[in-house]
Amino acid sequence: MNRTVLIIGIIIVAAIIFVLFAGLGKDPQHIDSPLIGKPAPPFTLKSVNTGETIDLESLRGKPVIVNFWATWCVPCYEEHPTLVANARQLPNVQFVGVVFNDTEDKINRFLAERGSAYPTLLDANGKTAIAYGVGGVPETYFINPAGVIVAKFEGPLSTEQLQKNLAKALR
Amino acid sequence: MIATFFLLALLQIKVPDAAQFVGQPQGVPLSGPRLEEQTLAISHELRCPVCQGLAIGDSPSIMASNMKAQVRELLERGYTEEQILSYFEKSYGQFVLLKPKFQGVNALVWILPIAVLAIGFVLVISKAKKLEVAPAAAAPEEPVDDPYLARVREMVEKP
Repeated sequence: MNRTVLIIGIIIVAAIIFVLFAGLGKDPQHIDSPLIGKPAPPFTLKSVNTGETIDLESLRGKPVIVNFWATWCVPCYEEHPTLVANARQLPNVQFVGVVFNDTEDKINRFLAERGSAYPTLLDANGKTAIAYGVGGVPETYFINPAGVIVAKFEGPLSTEQLQKNLAKALR
Repeated sequence: MIATFFLLALLQIKVPDAAQFVGQPQGVPLSGPRLEEQTLAISHELRCPVCQGLAIGDSPSIMASNMKAQVRELLERGYTEEQILSYFEKSYGQFVLLKPKFQGVNALVWILPIAVLAIGFVLVISKAKKLEVAPAAAAPEEPVDDPYLARVREMVEKP
């Protein structure tokens, strides 16, 4: 009897240690997106910096990088130069910024101070962000030329991470 | 809501719509206290994606308040609770549901506590039964062939 209890106890403790150990090093805020491999939710939003409306579906045929950000997001300041530099170097890739819960004034001031190389769209009520399953900003979605989401990146992108994820959209 | 719709149409703005994910509304459009009550109830079934284990109904974050506003709008349009939960699940995955579904690995969340309780109950019962049996087994005494004890017994039993 004592031997059986001991064996059951060891199995339970080993299972708990395994689960805890498997979670080590993982970001507790990370959410696996169910949208990977699915068509990108379509949207038509107004560009704050150019004034034109951008329809995501009209961008089919080339890879699209949709970056959700906001002027109140500190890591977005760190990420912005990387996005602008890559957008200038990759003319065949369409970069799109989507800003939510922000004002046009603040966005324009941010872009005037820090540069801009692609349309920045305003998602006034955050509905586009919700449809994409955005948890926090910055968050970036990589869409292939067929309009399918192939990767999602949470947090500020480095050039290396951007190119690694973009490669999935070019396959 | 109608004003918002016309404003968006005027600006030629189109945001992703729930109909693209879960089809047309299958319920009755809600308003008044029933709308507030149902918004609150569903807001306590959805996890805030930027908080640690908080429902959107309890979170002060911007994202949670956007999600709550969308729940309210979908109820106003006649979407059912199942459709609304399914809409958020299609964007965020099962993570967003505070009450996990009984399927796949998530089923363990429901099964394991019951299984552990059942195993514990069986162990306690079997142990208790053995404790009951043990004194009975020890009861029959072997006759002791000890002259000293025989002498004591003889003295005690003597009238």
